[in-house]
Amino acid sequence: MPRVNGTGQRIYAWFERRLQLEGPVKEAALHPVPRNTASWWYVFGSAAFTLLFLQIITGILLALIYVPSAAHAWDSLNVLNHQVPLGWYIRALHGWGSNFMVAIVLIHMAQVFLFGAYKFPRELTWILGVFLLLMTLGMAFTGQVLRFDQDAYWGLGIGASIMGRVPFIGGGLVHLLLGGPIIAGATLSRFFTLHVFVIPGLLLLFALTHVWMVLKLGVNEWPMPGRVVRRATYVQEYNKLAHEDGIPFVPGAFWKDLVFSGAVIAAVAVCALIMGPFGPGGQPDPSIIQTVPKPDFFFLWIYAVLSYLPPALETPFILIAPIIGIAILLALPFYAAEGEKSWHRRPVAVLVVSFVAVAWGSFTQLGTVTPWSPHMSAWSADAIPAKFLRGASPLVRQGANVFQDKQCRNCHAVGGRGGQRGPALDDIATRMTPDELRFKVVTGGGNMPAFGKNLSPAEIEALVAFLDTLHPPNQRPAVNPVNEVYTSTHASGGEDVSAAPGAAR
Amino acid sequence: MRKMAAVLLASTAAVLCGCHAYQRGEVSQPVPRPSAVLDFATLYGQNCAACHGPDGANGPATDLANPEYLALVDDAGLRKWIGGGMPGTQMPAFAKSSGGMLTDAQVNAIIAGMRKRWSRPGALEGAQPPPYAQTQTGDAKRGAQTYQARCAVCHKQTRDEITNPVYLALVSDQALRTMMIAGSPDIGQPDWRHDSADGKPATPLTDQDINDIIAYLDGLRNASPGFAGTAAEPQSGAPAR
Amino acid sequence: MTNDEHRLTQNQDAPTPTGIPPLNELAKHATSGEDDRVVSRRWLLMKAGIALNGLVGLALAVPVVRYIFAPWRKDSSYESWISLGAVKSFPAGETRLALFKNPFTRSWDGPTDNVACYVRREEADKFQVFAINCAHLGCPVRWFPQSQLFMCPCHGGVYYADGSRASGPPTRGLFTYDWKVVSNELHIDAGQMPTLSNSAKLEKPEIGEGDCTCRG
Repeated sequence: MPRVNGTGQRIYAWFERRLQLEGPVKEAALHPVPRNTASWWYVFGSAAFTLLFLQIITGILLALIYVPSAAHAWDSLNVLNHQVPLGWYIRALHGWGSNFMVAIVLIHMAQVFLFGAYKFPRELTWILGVFLLLMTLGMAFTGQVLRFDQDAYWGLGIGASIMGRVPFIGGGLVHLLLGGPIIAGATLSRFFTLHVFVIPGLLLLFALTHVWMVLKLGVNEWPMPGRVVRRATYVQEYNKLAHEDGIPFVPGAFWKDLVFSGAVIAAVAVCALIMGPFGPGGQPDPSIIQTVPKPDFFFLWIYAVLSYLPPALETPFILIAPIIGIAILLALPFYAAEGEKSWHRRPVAVLVVSFVAVAWGSFTQLGTVTPWSPHMSAWSADAIPAKFLRGASPLVRQGANVFQDKQCRNCHAVGGRGGQRGPALDDIATRMTPDELRFKVVTGGGNMPAFGKNLSPAEIEALVAFLDTLHPPNQRPAVNPVNEVYTSTHASGGEDVSAAPGAAR
Repeated sequence: MRKMAAVLLASTAAVLCGCHAYQRGEVSQPVPRPSAVLDFATLYGQNCAACHGPDGANGPATDLANPEYLALVDDAGLRKWIGGGMPGTQMPAFAKSSGGMLTDAQVNAIIAGMRKRWSRPGALEGAQPPPYAQTQTGDAKRGAQTYQARCAVCHKQTRDEITNPVYLALVSDQALRTMMIAGSPDIGQPDWRHDSADGKPATPLTDQDINDIIAYLDGLRNASPGFAGTAAEPQSGAPAR
Repeated sequence: MTNDEHRLTQNQDAPTPTGIPPLNELAKHATSGEDDRVVSRRWLLMKAGIALNGLVGLALAVPVVRYIFAPWRKDSSYESWISLGAVKSFPAGETRLALFKNPFTRSWDGPTDNVACYVRREEADKFQVFAINCAHLGCPVRWFPQSQLFMCPCHGGVYYADGSRASGPPTRGLFTYDWKVVSNELHIDAGQMPTLSNSAKLEKPEIGEGDCTCRG
């Protein structure tokens, strides 16, 4: 106990006399940890915890202005962005803080998994961690809803549609999710409640319990191949390690936590400064249909998965896969409570993490470019590259007009612009004869709608004439060798007749 | 952990104090409703550029950057074509009243922008072109002769062939008329005055000539070509090859 | 265990300037006289207290649950007939976007109660009214009169003019609203966001289904 002299120390003693925190704090700070855990690999948990506080502080600051009403939320966000001094910066901090938090929580989880830290006696720490991940993602999704713009509105629509696939009670669940029959004021209010009261309260409670257990059970030692976890002996072995080759947590390991947390917060601050806040996008008015809804970064992979699932698998997958995934995560520490911790002896664990990371990265990338979505304004916005029209016959030019006017471009790129749902058509003439083109346009097939009813015969002929000119100058268009009558279509449509010997008459 | 909160506050404060004037991340404007966008470049880029070319020219559709065209057609005409579409062509209707996406104000903004960007005073050099709208029906027989005399000089090769019945099925009389009067500089189609192959001034086409040619071309139209090889149907007398 | 012992010794050793024993010490004294084996009056009273709280909690849970589940209602209680305007504002043979205020609304709904739908007037007295929401995941489909297709910007669902599925992930055609013409106005039975579950009134459009032999 410190000697009482000086005003400062007297005040300290006055409080300590009443709070009696010194003992537990000292114990937590000075408890010995294995020397090899003072590593830069062990800093992600504390960084996530720090980010949680950044989110709480910036969240409270935003709540000073934000109005959780469907009629005014969007306006209040724009006031924050444009009228409140540095309101945009607080929004940016909160938004980037959210992205960093999700990322760091995911990294933390992968690290903990690879280091076998979920094994005995830290099973409950892992289980709480799984819930913390789910709540972090829940915060990210509900936060996206509070940014009440078109993406938020239609994101809720996607959520409601997924709910609507639940058998028997789906309709009621939709009502419950939306707080009524449609996405409206009640919907925003309940997501506000979730984002500001329910989830943060639980998140804080779980996070503190999580940290408490880390302090009580000790930081997971650096895994060594061959050092096998056994329930009977582990605690003894760990205490021996911590005491014989240990250092006090503070400052031995803690300084790295401090430095990394500071660096992460600085990174958030810089990202916020340079890239600014997220949105809000357009007004959440469902009568504005010129919109292309897209979820936030960390949900892009779901968006991508939803477009690639075969229709028959979709509902089972959406409803069952998350439950199975969470069940696996929760069951993991019980299934593998003992055994090797080192990744050198756990090839399956390494493979799983690599596979998940690669799959997640690929789907996120796909979600960024959305090759499955028609480009809704490509037909009227993406110009036909001039090289495709140079020296084109009047019929081919009309065909190009048909190509644009009938929204072919929304799904088919030409010259690198346009939708990517269907194949790019820059050299389609080398792959399909006019006959095949005509058949495909009329009947559709695969994932292409049939256009036969929506195009006049003249439009089809013009379109085919245009498509038949889409080939590299040094490559001849495809011809049907057994039927010369089609080749004459080339001749009327082709830009370079002499280059097509099949067209000889 | 509390220390970290302090660190973050300090770093944030340091960043903000030094950078009050720094506004790189700041967003400039709320996202407007699509119907409130009146900027010509945006409207043209989203609705017109695909067919009329990014700069009003070099697209497959009418050359809008042609000052003669803009001198020929008045605002009411443009409003009619943009708003309601041009029947008999691929020009779709853009006004909300006709099932499109644009408000009347936006259509007007497009027209005003086109005039501002591409109109040139004295584009017609004082000459009086034939009227924009057709008033009388022409004579197809005479039209065939006029066509041979005035048009066929250039329109004789496949790449220039406009007597293709399928092509004619996709352009309206008005579109043909506009093309003959105002020309289309981006593809080298001369206006009604410059009809000589060697570029020498020649007799301008009269209203009568144009009516006749249109009547002649109208007779060649084939809106429903059969399934196979129809583009080469020698109905036009000028088959593919 | 060792931690507790450690803390205990620390507390006992701690010099207390005022001479008052620490509070946890007092607590220890208060309970030390108890004998666990005797069901004392205190224990009985405590159990009664727990029971009372449990009972009150249960009684309160009923209204709380009822409150939380208030939005869970029958579809019909949300839906009603509303007018989309004069029949003549929908030209025959065309499909037009129509807007209406959702009938079930609150004053703070702002722009969110502006609901859009597509009205297709096939013939003079034959309509189809499609929900704007894609049957896949509810995104707003857009009508393209030139190609006579509805396209969805989210996952590429495409529908024909009659609402039947043309391509993409949707498993069915567009949701439709029931309609009727009352004194030259088109009315539809609407009020809630259509999904695959609460679409009792939103049946699969029959027309156009399977009309294209080449689909597949």
